[in-house]
Amino acid sequence: MALAMSIISERKRRSMAEVNGDLIEKLKQLIITRLKLADMTPEMIETDAPLFGEGLGLDSIDALELVLGLEKEFGTVIPDAEVGKKVFHSVRTMAQYVLDQKEGF
Amino acid sequence: MTSKRDSLMGRTAFCFPGQLQERPTLKEDHPLRRDSHFKEWVERASHQTPFDLPDFSYKGEEIGFNLKLQISTYLLSMVHFYRLRSEGWVPDVVTEHSMGIYAALAASEAITFEEGLWITESIGRILEREGASSGGAMASIVGLPFGEVEKINQDLNGFHLSIANYNGSKHFVLSGEEEGIEKAIDLALSKKAISAARLTFNIGLHSPRLSVLSGEIQALLKEIEIRSPKFPILNHWTIRPLMQEEIKDFLSLEIGQPVYWDRCVEKLIQEGINQFIEVGHGATLTKLIRWINRDVEAFSAGDRL
Repeated sequence: MALAMSIISERKRRSMAEVNGDLIEKLKQLIITRLKLADMTPEMIETDAPLFGEGLGLDSIDALELVLGLEKEFGTVIPDAEVGKKVFHSVRTMAQYVLDQKEGF
Repeated sequence: MTSKRDSLMGRTAFCFPGQLQERPTLKEDHPLRRDSHFKEWVERASHQTPFDLPDFSYKGEEIGFNLKLQISTYLLSMVHFYRLRSEGWVPDVVTEHSMGIYAALAASEAITFEEGLWITESIGRILEREGASSGGAMASIVGLPFGEVEKINQDLNGFHLSIANYNGSKHFVLSGEEEGIEKAIDLALSKKAISAARLTFNIGLHSPRLSVLSGEIQALLKEIEIRSPKFPILNHWTIRPLMQEEIKDFLSLEIGQPVYWDRCVEKLIQEGINQFIEVGHGATLTKLIRWINRDVEAFSAGDRL
């Protein structure tokens, strides 16, 4: 029984990793499309790199675009600047927020 | 950069941005440092001003951060303009945001490069003195519609700020007393703005309080002879092309009037402009244009080196 549980758990974990991988890819594409970064590809955006300041160098005008993009594409709402700062730290934090919001429903 | 000769694009507007908000990064290995136009025009500027653009310093005197940014913004816009021109780009129209007017005038040959530099530095000094004596501040509010921003202004209990920049449907800049600006930032954040933050200015630009400086600026401008602009200049205040005879009045009055950047872009699109080139170091105007209308092409010359 313990082995069966472990196999199921591993299957779930892999499935979740695939979902996350897809989501991360989609979010990178969203960033490129919304911000019209024509010269960039998803591979050029590091999943854990900061999006603002040193990393991709995004600013508050870009944040406005991403808020709208998340809402349109994923139905995810960024309620205020404080949450926005945490969510837009990196692509991974964006993905986590999208997942958390979905689970919340 | 693709030259205009190879381009199949339509009508083009050159957009001259307002004051940079941070020191431009121009390290030794920056591609602009190798550009012949950069070398030529920085050298030419050095005959007139002790300001050293690569070093971001003013030899012999300590001047304010904002004045350094203003001179940097002007010089970088002009360098990018000369780069674009040498590659065959010719604008159908020129437009500008706030202090971008000085470079827009020089690019349009209504004034010379040196006159533009002199005006930038001279008006900058007046603003610096005014800021030191009267104070003031500015803040950008992102993510709230006009009605909410207006309401913030009404809820300030004793402070009255001006909307200094209308940059897009959810992007405004407030201007006025420092304490009022701080209060407005708190209110904007409590109303769920995406961002509300101070700009680097120590003066309330584009608010009626600055109208007191008009006479002094007019007196300065008596030193300059304005010629007819070679390209139409759509100005940020009345959203009309500036005529030769009204340029001095415009320069002396616009610092007390708002910047309607959203209307500028909309007007140009109505007139058939479908390509916007930001003639400067950053991409602020490019991003604002993207928000105003996603269908037009917009890029910054500073991003294409």
